[in-house]
Amino acid sequence: MSRSHLQIIHPRQDLVTEPVILEVKGLTKRFTSDANEQISALKDLSFRVAQKELVCLLGRSGCGKSTLLKLLAGFIKPSAGNIFFHGDPLHHAGPACCMVFQEDALFPWLTVRENIAFGLTNLPLNRRQKQYEVDRFIDLMGLNGFGDYLPREISGGMKQRVALARVMILKPRILLMDEPFGALDAQTREQMQSLLQELRRQFAPTILFVTHDVNEALLLGDRILLFDKNPGRISHDIKIDLPKTRTMNNEAFLRLRTRIKELLKDK
Amino acid sequence: MSKMTTNPQLQRFLPWVLPLVLVLAWSLISSRELIPTYLLPHPQQVLVAGFDYILGDPQKGIYTGRFLGDFSASIGRVLLGFALATIIGLPLGLLSGRLNSIQLLLGSTLNALRAVPGICWLPLALIWFGIGLKTTVFLVALAAFFPIFLNAEAGARQINPTMIQAGTMLGMNRRRRIYRVLIPAAMPHIVTGLRLGMGISWAYLVLGELTGVPNGLGAVIMDARMLGRNDIIIVGIILIALIGRLCDTGLHLLLRLFFKSARRLT
Repeated sequence: MSRSHLQIIHPRQDLVTEPVILEVKGLTKRFTSDANEQISALKDLSFRVAQKELVCLLGRSGCGKSTLLKLLAGFIKPSAGNIFFHGDPLHHAGPACCMVFQEDALFPWLTVRENIAFGLTNLPLNRRQKQYEVDRFIDLMGLNGFGDYLPREISGGMKQRVALARVMILKPRILLMDEPFGALDAQTREQMQSLLQELRRQFAPTILFVTHDVNEALLLGDRILLFDKNPGRISHDIKIDLPKTRTMNNEAFLRLRTRIKELLKDK
Repeated sequence: MSKMTTNPQLQRFLPWVLPLVLVLAWSLISSRELIPTYLLPHPQQVLVAGFDYILGDPQKGIYTGRFLGDFSASIGRVLLGFALATIIGLPLGLLSGRLNSIQLLLGSTLNALRAVPGICWLPLALIWFGIGLKTTVFLVALAAFFPIFLNAEAGARQINPTMIQAGTMLGMNRRRRIYRVLIPAAMPHIVTGLRLGMGISWAYLVLGELTGVPNGLGAVIMDARMLGRNDIIIVGIILIALIGRLCDTGLHLLLRLFFKSARRLT
């Protein structure tokens, strides 16, 4: 088998050469079950992420991918281990590290505009500057004409555009995406994927992208972290050397997909 | 999901059917004297008494022209009691819904107190506060507290945790989150609690006023009983129903006016 597009290494080694923005060391998260047993959602996780990288976290449900994102966002505290952000320990949740949720987490009492403007309240911008920024992102996200709609009045795809807009407007350095397009139909998902690529070109955020769709991971990712279950840990760290613009029907893509599916099946 | 819709003309007409039928039946019963007038006065007599009570010259009789005075006394007591219940019940409810420790601290005591019918407090309130404003306000506040507290608590508890997380991530500190996420997200429940509280306020107002205060809509009813003026009793009942209804609508309108979340979620 050709190794040219596939470089699978033991996760303890390192593929990262660029400046590191995020470093996770020995991260462990245990929950107490209803039967009062300790369950390790994540066990001794270590990896590094380079600036501007898009890392896909791939694995079956229940392998702790979402738990990892919550830890990185600062919503929950680790049982052990450390998260370093530009070399400094992560203290609390905030706009530097923003999450796009799987489910619809827009504020239902705010219009599309107001949802997008929500995080700007804390920034030292005057009214006109805020308005300008919101207009810019409405345009960028293809939400023109929807500004005054309430979340319940727009489609699932549109909601995720708003969810993306309200965090991108804060220019987060790390974007955490928890199966953001999982609930969308195939066509809408494709549109959202290209929108995401457009955002990467313009803003170059570092992205951690949780998915269980191998195709999606291969289309978007620079790197894939494969997750194991019980306890959740990284089994493989895969660098994807496919060209920037990818299609699903080329040979290298298909070969890579077959290989990853085999790795997933072994679990 | 939605109920079967009726056509718009029918929709406007239907709410009036029952009152019209009742009044018609009442007229019929009174005209044929099926029930003696000392038990049930004729609607016309009630209409006249109501007119006198609201617009009559105060010099001409015991009940003529008293409405404005009674109304302002009653509404003052209701609003005072309701305001007290809101000021205490709303923040406490929101806190209890969010913080486990507060819930543990308050939950069982308040539930035990809630099981006591409000009327049981009347004797004690009379001893503490005497007859009048304080007793009535106390009873109203006590009764309105529970629906306001419990609904605020339920509202705060059922908030999707991702809402709170989203607020944090978008840079809101704890205090800001309360005003920008917690209260709007709990708003439908808060509105329900306040409306229920307002409704029960009127019930307990009448109870407080039945004890022999000189003025107020409840006082008039009780007073009229002594003098055998059952027409005035019915006038009082109808007025309390109307004013209670208006208070509810007014409260809802005010909430919708001042809160985006009330406007858009309820």
